Amino acid sequence: MTPAIALSGLTRRYAGGHEALSGVTVDIHTPSIVGLLGRNGAGKTTLLRILSGQGFATAGSVRVLGATPLENDAVLRRMVLVREDQTYPDMKVRHALAAAAMFYPNWDADLAGMLLDAYELPAGRGIKKLSRGMRAALGIILGLAARAEVTLFDEPVAGLDAVVRDMFYQHLLDDYTAHPRCVVLSTHLIDEVADLLERILILDHGRLVLDALTDDLRGNAVTVTGRTGNVDRFVADRPTLGRRTLGGQSTAVMVGRLDDRDRHLAEHLQLDLDHLTLQQLAIQAADSSARATLISAGTD
Amino acid sequence: MPTTPRTSILTVVRYLLLDRFTFLVLPWAWAAFGFALDVVVLQIVPTGATGQRWVGGLAAVYAVVFVLGVQAVARTLPFALALGISRRTYFLGAATLAVALAVCFGVVVTVGQAVERLTGGWGLRMAYFRVPGILDGPWWQTWLTATAAFVLLFGYGMWYGLVHRRAGLAGTMVFTAAQAIVLAALAAVTTWTHGWAHVGHVLATTSVLPAILAGLAVVLLTAGLVTVRRLAV
Repeated sequence: MTPAIALSGLTRRYAGGHEALSGVTVDIHTPSIVGLLGRNGAGKTTLLRILSGQGFATAGSVRVLGATPLENDAVLRRMVLVREDQTYPDMKVRHALAAAAMFYPNWDADLAGMLLDAYELPAGRGIKKLSRGMRAALGIILGLAARAEVTLFDEPVAGLDAVVRDMFYQHLLDDYTAHPRCVVLSTHLIDEVADLLERILILDHGRLVLDALTDDLRGNAVTVTGRTGNVDRFVADRPTLGRRTLGGQSTAVMVGRLDDRDRHLAEHLQLDLDHLTLQQLAIQAADSSARATLISAGTD
Repeated sequence: MPTTPRTSILTVVRYLLLDRFTFLVLPWAWAAFGFALDVVVLQIVPTGATGQRWVGGLAAVYAVVFVLGVQAVARTLPFALALGISRRTYFLGAATLAVALAVCFGVVVTVGQAVERLTGGWGLRMAYFRVPGILDGPWWQTWLTATAAFVLLFGYGMWYGLVHRRAGLAGTMVFTAAQAIVLAALAAVTTWTHGWAHVGHVLATTSVLPAILAGLAVVLLTAGLVTVRRLAV
């Protein structure tokens, strides 16, 4: 099956030599919800802009729904990307929704109306008078109600409080369940979205440093805490990513899944076992040696 | 190369017209305001002995059209791109709307000029729809000049918007300075060749002016279409 998104050697170099993206190669199939994670300046927005034809690649190939998206109306009208820093015309909220309704054949006006109420967004207000959170909510409504086959979200929850963020995750999941499609969303808040994501892509300094299924990563690393001698005994012969020792106590980050025998041994040795969160895994993944360990363990 | 369906271009026109006030009200409101202001001014200023009383209120419309062009690129284009419209389709849509509005504007100026002539300048000998040397020929020339100038100013505004988006304030200054240098060079050449009388003659006596305006408008729009395709947002 042709992937919804196929990137090969995607590179974006700016005048002055700075490389925002370096040789990113990845295929994303549909339907799926994929998280694009990474720190500020890692290249997430640049990648999404190029995907949606808003920005330009320096080298490499970009194919969306089987064709090059750049200046290709046939592909572009099946995609949506409302950016976190989206520039809007001088118009009211309802005009922005009306514009999206004109351009998207699958636009769901009922959903848009429901979301407008849910996020308490005043339809008659000028967009430039919206608060940051309200603008983010507008981006979410446009992105969801467009029902585009390739739906891209750039930091959709930035500026939203925890309650509204939870609402968004629920709305996204509900709508995705009813209308499965290819959703890519970039975010810093990895652990919040972890349950939504089927797959995780982590960018670091423009390079794709981790590409793994969430289920493979989850439970794939644990912290082992206890008396130093016992920790040593437990993690012996197993790959570790790091360790901290304070007095007689040690904490080691160990890669690999645990079975019942491991748990019994840990109990016997009076060790605490904690699964690493995806956020912690992502931080580890930015380190190249740890990454190799993580990925090889994840694909066992 | 992918082509642009006509329906998409018309959808862009509808998208732009969501802001009806800016496109359909603002230029006319300015024209009416200029007209009213000119009438008031002419009531106050003592009447001269003879001749028409030229006023410049109509120029306000062109200032608005220039700003419309800037806004079309600076603010309306990025949102269209977010909603899955190509730069090319957007530009063609914006140009279509500009030409349509220009044609209507040309008709209003032409009719206004006819009424102005019939009523002796609105009873005030006011020349609002007539501008000496530019808008004072036969009706078709008036229509063509007013229409072409409208498209030209819109295209010119879009160019400023494009340059500003690509090159920022510094680039815009350089762009403006470059135009000033070109105009100064043309003026210098004309002076050295003693060509001013000839230029004046050509512009004033023939239908060259509307042709020049229309030609410039076409060049600006074509170059704008090429440039917009290289614009990252």
